[in-house]
Amino acid sequence: MEFVASVIALAVAYQAMKAYKLAKEHSLLYLNLSFVLIGTGLVVDGLANLIVVLARVQRGFLYFFSVGYTINFLAQLVAYGLLVFAYLHQTRNVGPAVMAAALPVMFIERNAFTELILIFLLVYVATQTAMNYSVNKNVNALLVFGAFATLAIAHVFFLLFVLIPFFYPLAHVAQLFGFLLLLAMLLRVNQPV
Amino acid sequence: MIPSGQSQPLKATAKYRSQFRIYVDIMLVIQRENNEAKPTRILYGANLSHDRLIKYLDELKTLGVIQETGTDDKVYSLTQKGIEFMNNFRKVESFASAFGFRI
Repeated sequence: MEFVASVIALAVAYQAMKAYKLAKEHSLLYLNLSFVLIGTGLVVDGLANLIVVLARVQRGFLYFFSVGYTINFLAQLVAYGLLVFAYLHQTRNVGPAVMAAALPVMFIERNAFTELILIFLLVYVATQTAMNYSVNKNVNALLVFGAFATLAIAHVFFLLFVLIPFFYPLAHVAQLFGFLLLLAMLLRVNQPV
Repeated sequence: MIPSGQSQPLKATAKYRSQFRIYVDIMLVIQRENNEAKPTRILYGANLSHDRLIKYLDELKTLGVIQETGTDDKVYSLTQKGIEFMNNFRKVESFASAFGFRI
């Protein structure tokens, strides 16, 4: 599931790079970097899990689980932080105070509240995309909003997984569904004119 | 990127962005006029002064995305390169707008 999601994330990154090359709009560069990080984090996490599975869950290899998770987590933290920054940047009123507030979020170390921080960032991004949809009323904007809302829900499930193991597969399915919504948007955008 | 001319590399600056948007607006007006637009139409459609219109039309001709036709009255149309650029632009605009980013 993570490999499929990472391919979609990298496809979004590629499309954002194409858009940036054409329009030279910095928000699109942040979007590109953000999805490169998300895709890379998912690949690393997927590979780490694969190594553990291939090693048939031997005790020495379990370390890869936490390495993969940590890298994926930090990549997502910076990625969603960048997206928040991109939306703030677009409003053209990013003062030093706002940037200073964003930076500690980007470089925070892993702790008990990290998953909550991710949810907070995703809720912010989902809200921005919801506002965009309410203005544009267009299917692509709805798909992007749906994707970020679903990713936020996936992280809520990851948080609940700590208490109830049942939520782990649900979180992965929700995450995949979020990326599939982004794929649907990409396919619609690239339809022949 | 708009296909660059021989000696006009386009730079990623604030000036470039506004210039890029003006290029697109001019080409959109031409496309809207069934690919045959008179200067007056473009002037009003792209909201430009006469001097700036002449400057940008010359630049777009140099870039090879529009061409001047007509003998008595000047008429501008998109070249094949211009049509391809606009097709790409629509995709990119649609993508950026889905995320709420303006181009």
